[in-house]
Amino acid sequence: MTDMEKERNLKYTVITDKGVTVCGRVLEHNHTGSAMLTEIYRAQLGDWPKFFKMDTLSKVGYLASELLLKELGERRLEGEEYASDRAIVLFGTTASLCADRNYQETIQDSDNYYPSPALFVYTLPNIVTGEIAIRNHYRGETSFYVLDGYDTGSMAFHLQCAFQDDVTESLLAGWVDSTDNDDFRCFFTLMDRADASDLKGLENELKGIMDNLK
Amino acid sequence: MEEMILKLKQEIIEVLNLEDVKPEDIDNDAPLFGEGLGLDSIDALELIVLMEKNYGIKLQDPAKGKEIFKSINVMADYIQKNRTR
Repeated sequence: MTDMEKERNLKYTVITDKGVTVCGRVLEHNHTGSAMLTEIYRAQLGDWPKFFKMDTLSKVGYLASELLLKELGERRLEGEEYASDRAIVLFGTTASLCADRNYQETIQDSDNYYPSPALFVYTLPNIVTGEIAIRNHYRGETSFYVLDGYDTGSMAFHLQCAFQDDVTESLLAGWVDSTDNDDFRCFFTLMDRADASDLKGLENELKGIMDNLK
Repeated sequence: MEEMILKLKQEIIEVLNLEDVKPEDIDNDAPLFGEGLGLDSIDALELIVLMEKNYGIKLQDPAKGKEIFKSINVMADYIQKNRTR
């Protein structure tokens, strides 16, 4: 396989506050920002009311993962079915900044001091990995790496490392950032061990995907 | 009381982000937790905050919530009898 062919190997979903692309297909929408997330959820997914309770980081990650898995025809595990061989590895620079800000607003004013438990539970970036794992019955490793910038070298390295155990067979991987409810960018992809075997090739592929987020 | 129950339902829908639920969907006697609205423990904490913020009721014993949040009717009755604002 040539380098050019490998660059087109990973299928991925991109969500920014301006639009949604699923494996190259642009989804139609009338709104932008947080209203667009709700619009796309209702039009494409539904059936998971917990979505409305999530913070923006989790909403974006949940939507991107669900749209990708649906597009790839992945069967949803039900009942007592669980997958221990699928890990979730995510990256970002802003961590839970958006949720932190929203929570801060509930404790800012000493005369109106009502800390919100529902906002507080999202003040960790890795909650998004939990939301996805719960929805899909994944019991593999989950990680969220907070990076200084678009460091595709570090991303490729951590993704390759995730296959070093003798359990993980596939990774739901991606990038998700959100600074406020109407400012976010994310991509999600599904990869197997072979996709991560060539570190330099993976880094180049990630670079190409990340260009969609700039 | 009817007006208060409607207001309470609207407040619950808003604070718990029950986007697909309308006030008329909530049965006044149905349990708020478990079946029915399918609320969880974080929702229970939010309801405790709601009672304090909107009605000035500070629950000293959070375990009491189990009793108070049995249904909309029970909750509205408790608020009516204990509200300070």
